[in-house]
Amino acid sequence: MSQLSLKNLQKSFNEAHIIKGINLEVSEGEFVVFVGPSGCGKSTLLRMIAGLEDVSSGEIVIGGNKVNDLPPVQRGIAMVFQSYALYPHMTVFENIAFPLRVERLPQAEVEQRVNAAAKVLQLESRLQQRPGTLSGGQRQRVAIGRAIVRQPKIFLFDEPLSNLDAALRSEMRIELMELHKRLGSTMIYVTHDQVEAMTMADKIVVLDAGTISQVGSPLELYHRPDNLFVAGFIGSPKMNFISGTVIGSDGSTINVDLGALGTIALPRTTKIGAGQQVTLGIRPEHLRLGKGEFSLSVTPKIVEHLGIHTVTYSTLPAGENFVGLYEGDPKVNESEAHDVGFALSQAHLFDQAGLAIY
Amino acid sequence: MSDVARTTEVAAADSPAIVKPKRRVRASKPMIDRYRWFEILGLYAGLLVFLFFVLSPFIEGFMVSLKPLAQLFSTPYSFIPKRASFDAYFQMWQSVPMLGLYIFNSFFISTVVTLIVIAVVVPAAYAFARFQFAGAGLMLGAFLAVNMFSGAVLLIPLFRLMRSMGLLNTYWAMIVPGAAFLIPSSIWLLRTYLIRIPKELDEAAWVDGASRLYTLRRVILPLAMPGIVVVAIMTFIGAYAQQFIFALTFNSKSEFMPLPIGLFAFFGKQEVVWNELMAASFVGVLPVMIVIVFLQRYLVAGLTAGAVKQ
Repeated sequence: MSQLSLKNLQKSFNEAHIIKGINLEVSEGEFVVFVGPSGCGKSTLLRMIAGLEDVSSGEIVIGGNKVNDLPPVQRGIAMVFQSYALYPHMTVFENIAFPLRVERLPQAEVEQRVNAAAKVLQLESRLQQRPGTLSGGQRQRVAIGRAIVRQPKIFLFDEPLSNLDAALRSEMRIELMELHKRLGSTMIYVTHDQVEAMTMADKIVVLDAGTISQVGSPLELYHRPDNLFVAGFIGSPKMNFISGTVIGSDGSTINVDLGALGTIALPRTTKIGAGQQVTLGIRPEHLRLGKGEFSLSVTPKIVEHLGIHTVTYSTLPAGENFVGLYEGDPKVNESEAHDVGFALSQAHLFDQAGLAIY
Repeated sequence: MSDVARTTEVAAADSPAIVKPKRRVRASKPMIDRYRWFEILGLYAGLLVFLFFVLSPFIEGFMVSLKPLAQLFSTPYSFIPKRASFDAYFQMWQSVPMLGLYIFNSFFISTVVTLIVIAVVVPAAYAFARFQFAGAGLMLGAFLAVNMFSGAVLLIPLFRLMRSMGLLNTYWAMIVPGAAFLIPSSIWLLRTYLIRIPKELDEAAWVDGASRLYTLRRVILPLAMPGIVVVAIMTFIGAYAQQFIFALTFNSKSEFMPLPIGLFAFFGKQEVVWNELMAASFVGVLPVMIVIVFLQRYLVAGLTAGAVKQ
């Protein structure tokens, strides 16, 4: 049974329609990541689940109860804010104890629960310090500590790592995943960083302009994106898109005219009328140097040597940008044309509306 | 053996280090803060002129309080007292027996005004800083407009109001208008301060089950303390300064007189006891000084550091 379900959830601020009908089921213990570009409504959606924003229409159901009009504390959620929102005048202990003080729990239980949380988060030696003396990662842990002492059913994280530097971010990412394993509670995590989404999530919810673009496991989204938006959003560097025109389809293959690049015959069971505009997608990491099932010649403008990878940036005859990602340090030079190829099974095809054709 | 070697190493490392810090201290000053000697001289000279301009009435007042009365009218006038004594500071209590009460009244009126203003302003400023309600902008504008009238313009309507409410010749006659004129600007001041406290702190407390009042008491007020202290100091000084006009108009009972009015007692029929007047003024200002020194300790800047990452 699902623990959290959103039913046709909508939100408007005056005229602006921010959330345009979200339906989502989250089961117990899942790590769900809301991901999308800034302004797609992911934070608003999280704040609606938290009870910080009211619902314009639709339903939020947690554990079988409609919670639209309940305050956060009665929804059984706890939230970690992007800015940590620690109380600077209180010690770490009092910061973590705050929700318990609100509940007026006896001192002995407060101490026991705070110490347990501090142990999980390795904050035991910091309990008597003020947040101002802590590093970013430690502050983040205090904020998480404040969330876990209440033993909520659902944790909500609003871009919790975006204020940390890159090294600390990947460290905290691992810590959060370990925490999720240990506590086994449901976590909903908002981020604009698709790497965080891919690495942490059991289930990714890709949001685009207030609607769900696709829901699925990280690898589903990677291998079978439903549409152009998800295909372009998941994966780094971004998927290459080449526009073309359908020549014909017979139920087993679709022939696409790619202009100056020639024609490509993709194995697809869908029939599609000739003359339709389509978009071919191929991930940079699926390209191989030399000839493949389909090949084209590119001239890199910029070549980045990262040691483990080499990334090339070139422009196709029709003006599209084309990125290649190759393992190791192969011989590709700027302004020197070379052949690249890819397997037909790894190419994606999208119709005029941007929907994937399989 | 190695120990010996280490000590010589340390010593060798130390000796140039003694010379180095001196150079480093000079070099460590940022370029933007470096001045040449004549610039520094100019700065201090300017400071001196400014301070003298501001403080000379006080210096002269203090000098006068130290002189015997006869010396005040001697020609040529001597700025520095010839025979300085603190006699006036003892004499004044006999010349004006109620002086102690006047000083107490001043202090008492200002304290009550400050307490009333704080009690009213804190919730009001919180509301203006955090809630959106109809007429909020209009009310803030009206508060600003009230500030543009000085109390003196409204003396006659205020007098009628006081009379009909039966407040004339009581402490309230000085406390109520005093507080009323200080509340609007204090709301503006504290509201600005509260806006700077991140809204996420309220939201985090709300998510954790705290009520608005609990949040105000446990989170916002402790963080707003420096702002509240500023408001308290401004109000106290303001109340001390504006007593004169209200006390003069709305009160005629000498037992309620604050110091500025009480000082008139030193104006005799024949002569003004200037030295005692000055001495009384200085003693009367003393409580304010003490309050400010006491409150200033709470003006801790940067208390919000670490609340959110900016």
